Amino acid sequence: MLVKLGSSALAGLEGYLVEVEVDSLKGLPGQTIVGLPDAAVRESRDRVRFAITNSGYEFPAGYFTINLAPGNVRKEGPMYDLPIALGMLASSEQASTKLFKETIFLGELALNGEIRPISGVLPICFSAKAEGVKRAIVSWENADEAALVQGLEVIPVKTLKEAVEYLNDKLSIPPYKVDLAALFSDNQEFDLDFADVKGQQHVKRALEIAAAGSHNVLLVGPPGSGKTMLAKRLPTILPPLSLNEALEVTKLYSVTGVLSGKAALITRRPFRSPHHTTSDIGIIGGGRIPRPGEVSLAHLGVLFLDEFPEFEREVLEVLRQPLEDGKVTVSRALATITYPAEFMLVAAMNPCPCGNYLDPMKACTCPPYKVQRYWGKLSGPLLDRIDLHVEVPRLKKEELADQPLGENSKAVRERVNAARKIQEKRLIGTTCHSNARLTPRLLREFCKLNPDAEQLLKAAILHLKMSGRAYDRILKVARTIADLAASDAIEAPHVAEAIQYRSFDRKEV
Amino acid sequence: MSNDSYQIGHQGELIAEQYLTQKGFKIVSKNFHSQQGEIDLIAKDGDFLVFVEVKNYSFRSLGSPLGAIRKSKKESIIHAAQTYLYKNGIKNTNCRFDVISIYRKYNGQTVIDHIKDAFYAR
Repeated sequence: MLVKLGSSALAGLEGYLVEVEVDSLKGLPGQTIVGLPDAAVRESRDRVRFAITNSGYEFPAGYFTINLAPGNVRKEGPMYDLPIALGMLASSEQASTKLFKETIFLGELALNGEIRPISGVLPICFSAKAEGVKRAIVSWENADEAALVQGLEVIPVKTLKEAVEYLNDKLSIPPYKVDLAALFSDNQEFDLDFADVKGQQHVKRALEIAAAGSHNVLLVGPPGSGKTMLAKRLPTILPPLSLNEALEVTKLYSVTGVLSGKAALITRRPFRSPHHTTSDIGIIGGGRIPRPGEVSLAHLGVLFLDEFPEFEREVLEVLRQPLEDGKVTVSRALATITYPAEFMLVAAMNPCPCGNYLDPMKACTCPPYKVQRYWGKLSGPLLDRIDLHVEVPRLKKEELADQPLGENSKAVRERVNAARKIQEKRLIGTTCHSNARLTPRLLREFCKLNPDAEQLLKAAILHLKMSGRAYDRILKVARTIADLAASDAIEAPHVAEAIQYRSFDRKEV
Repeated sequence: MSNDSYQIGHQGELIAEQYLTQKGFKIVSKNFHSQQGEIDLIAKDGDFLVFVEVKNYSFRSLGSPLGAIRKSKKESIIHAAQTYLYKNGIKNTNCRFDVISIYRKYNGQTVIDHIKDAFYAR
């Protein structure tokens, strides 16, 4: 008997429906899977056989052909085990086909008939819902994730037997529901706090501006001055994700398969700090069928690159395009996929290999050519894309002895939130999220300067020989500073503060 | 093939035939040959047409008798099965490949191991 049932495959962040057709002929026993299966799909023959017999069903006799349509797209991964097994059981009339319409089946089978979770359930279910699918039968470990899709009936199953009995009406499984509101309740308790860091008030101010406008930051300072400590506390002052943003981030993590079972929805902004030995592919994304890289995993969050010049030059240079576009397109022979990558870059580095250059207290032992080579890693175009250049000086003795003082993260976050709200209101109906992402047209519309501010900026550009991009970036930072001050117009002090954050454009290092 | 091992093989087929008949199988053919292969026994088990490969061990076997059926042996059995189906015009019948291995314990007791659905055509 010919049986058809639905499943799905992923192309980037989009799922598309795959129809699993199962039919058999009487004759010499065997099975073939057609429809461009990869090794994992072809292996499902063996898993399915044992899962069926170990669940107490009869492995049907005859010659089976399993077709995964559409036949021109390569199918990868073990998620077709469950639909193939159910298809074979239905084809031999051991399972009912009543619910096969408008249902997708996703799951890997263990030899004992248990259903294992698969990666990418969230984007698959989203796309399936959009294509008119009403029900998804998934591993119970994937249920949290699948249930994030509103209006899709999610049936969690633990074993193949459960799935068959559900189809045969012998077992009723209530649809799995998650309370989105509860998951999303403003859970902003952090272990770290800005108040932990002693001194460095101007760095905190710069990070506040960066957080408020999602600007890129470069922190330069000798070892032990608190660069890493400050950067790690950046997530504590970032505004919370909106629901749609959270779903977008969760989709990326779902595709990568790094979602843990419990945290079905990522409600905090991601903070990624890849080690400096990470390859360019690891940063940008890639593989035979491209997977998201660190820039995409840091989408809507922070990409923290500690020891910035220690990264390979290629790695730093590949950052340029996503920094500008907010997305990366990775092309491979099998697929071309675009992943979002709207991250905030936070780079930290020493001023020279020994770390004491520019330090008034300790002497630098590096010969000048080494310092030059160190800074040479940061190309002009890359430095140009970083809005805020901040020196993090070594703390003085008095400051070290002091008790940590200053505001806690919550107070700062409230100001950042207020500034972001202003931006959101301004950017309604556009594709931008924040000041740092303003398009040139929006920039001209929203970043109008007061006459004296304009004069100041013109003089600075002329005097400091800045690039056109630097000009735009200063405008964006000035806009954020004005937003933090709740000022509609950008005034001279705002521009002045923005200009002084471009210190390494003019410093002769 | 030496006369000895031929004898052992033939003896095994007799034992297997007896065993299958006892189990309700109907033997339809023995030692069917195609150009590239041979099937020891062909029997009907209900609706199923069963191709049986018999392994008779003169010594105590170590490991699974399936290990004694290599890929080339499997292919020759499958080839012979296809030829049999074609020559006899058999269509629309479910088929199965079984393996029967026969060995003796140290106490002389004969053990018959019947593996149903031992392998697939593909």
